[in-house]
Amino acid sequence: MNPALEELSNQYPSALREYCNGGGEAALLRAYQLGRGAVAAGVSALEVGTVHQEALVSALVETLALAESAPIARRATEFFAECLAPFELTRRGFQEAHAALRDLNQGLERRLSAALQDFESAQDELLEQKRMETLKNDFISVISHEVRTPLTSIHGALNLLKSGLGGELNPQGQRLLDAAYRNSQRLVRLVNDLLDLQRIESGTMTFNLRPVDLRSLLEQAIEASQAHAGPLGIKLVLQGAPTGARVRVDSDRMMQVMTNLLSNAAKFSPRGETVVVEASRHNSGLRVGVTDRGPGVPEEFHERIFQKFAQAASSDRGGSGLGLSITKAIVEHMSGRVGFQSEPGRTTFYFDLPEWRRTVSRGKASENTWPAGR
Amino acid sequence: METHGLAGEGLGKHVARRTLKRILLVEDDPDIQTVTSMALGSFGGYTVHVCGSAEEAIESAAEFLPDLILLDVMMPGMDGMDTLRVLREIPETASTPVIFLTARVQPADVAKYKELDSLAVIRKPFEPTALVETIQDIWIRYHDSAH
Ligand SMILES: Nc1ncnc2c1ncn2[C@@H]1O[C@H](COP(=O)(O)OP(=O)(O)OP(=O)(O)O)[C@@H](O)[C@H]1O
Ligand SMILES: [Mg+2]
Repeated sequence: MNPALEELSNQYPSALREYCNGGGEAALLRAYQLGRGAVAAGVSALEVGTVHQEALVSALVETLALAESAPIARRATEFFAECLAPFELTRRGFQEAHAALRDLNQGLERRLSAALQDFESAQDELLEQKRMETLKNDFISVISHEVRTPLTSIHGALNLLKSGLGGELNPQGQRLLDAAYRNSQRLVRLVNDLLDLQRIESGTMTFNLRPVDLRSLLEQAIEASQAHAGPLGIKLVLQGAPTGARVRVDSDRMMQVMTNLLSNAAKFSPRGETVVVEASRHNSGLRVGVTDRGPGVPEEFHERIFQKFAQAASSDRGGSGLGLSITKAIVEHMSGRVGFQSEPGRTTFYFDLPEWRRTVSRGKASENTWPAGR
Repeated sequence: METHGLAGEGLGKHVARRTLKRILLVEDDPDIQTVTSMALGSFGGYTVHVCGSAEEAIESAAEFLPDLILLDVMMPGMDGMDTLRVLREIPETASTPVIFLTARVQPADVAKYKELDSLAVIRKPFEPTALVETIQDIWIRYHDSAH
């Protein structure tokens, strides 16, 4: 290679980069003189142009670190064709080159500031989202509190009437009272569920994780739901559970999970049917399934079933569509997952949890060795 | 604390727990007053004295001499927590067990009430019939751990 061309290739890019970084006319003049020197030493205009073009493209792309290198390269090419061909020949060429380069730079600056603005408005949007989130959380806790107070006397009065405090009612009165009581119960549940959901979403729900015996937990859950299933004519049974199997969970939250699954199963079962709870070892963990003999989950609803407020079009059995979304969040928080299999006449909702396998050394609590819970 | 031993039982072998008879209910909402006092009176068979404000409670506590105080947390004027502090300074109620009733059920709030010198926190809404059982359970546990 011509030593003059080699020198140009070595020095020109840094001169140009300096210009791009705000070096002004002095930098451009240096580049210009490098180009002139090379021409004087016998380098052709075409060769100078090529060096310039390559340097310009790499300088722009690298200095401004823009992703859109293709349009820049294209503009640089046009720029060369239009303005830099007479580069080594005239003072006018130099001035034009300078003006063109300045335009190019201004264009890049504009693009950069537009990108910056986009970034800022995205940030504003994020802040606004956070503000709305806080507003929503505050709203829910205020509402929850404001609703609780009147609900305490409404639900309390109905509860006392139902327990016979006001004396015997005629059958019509009894039916009205039952309806009022049932719906007030539903309202109590809704208020609690909304608050739970808000806590889950804001990450403030606390979990008191402890190893517990799975079988006795399931027995307790069934016992607790019996009062609810009985009047629907549904029997709840525990069909099997591996003895001694333990899970590390928050028992209250687990009861909530089971209550949700059992209440759904009982709600969608035909009268007189049995809902079966079964626990087994599955893969490396434990699986608990709740199976009912109801109509099943419609195919088109499968995808949305765990979303909050989601209810299948076909199910008009009360509730608010929060049970399963809360269930899913709780189970996942305890390192588990939920799922279901459904066909008409047989639907199983299940959750998998890791088995807790520490052996209890006599007299010592095993959770000592587990990383701090919650 | 005074305990009522059964006549004839020997030498503290069976120290009967103090029976729960008198309950002071401090609650500003008149409807909740009605429902709760009815449940405690008609169901639980307790003697209930109802106060609509902290001031009223502080005034009548020494005279009524409750075995147990049910204290609403959110009241206009002096709230339940401040009321408890004052009650603790009155000799007659310095060690009377207190249970809070609250519609603020956020875990942070509940934790705050628990830190105070109370037996338990009961969340609203509650079923009044279940309230009677809950209170009895808490009472039994309280005495079993205290004696
Ligand atoms: N065992 C089941 N069989 C058939 N469909 C079910 C079953 N369990 C849930 N579903 C469908 O999933 C929907 C959402 O259930 P989810 O428990 O979340 O809410 P819900 O029971 O309607 O109301 P909530 O639980 O809040 O009282 C139900 O409305 C129903 O359409
Ligand atoms: Mg449900």
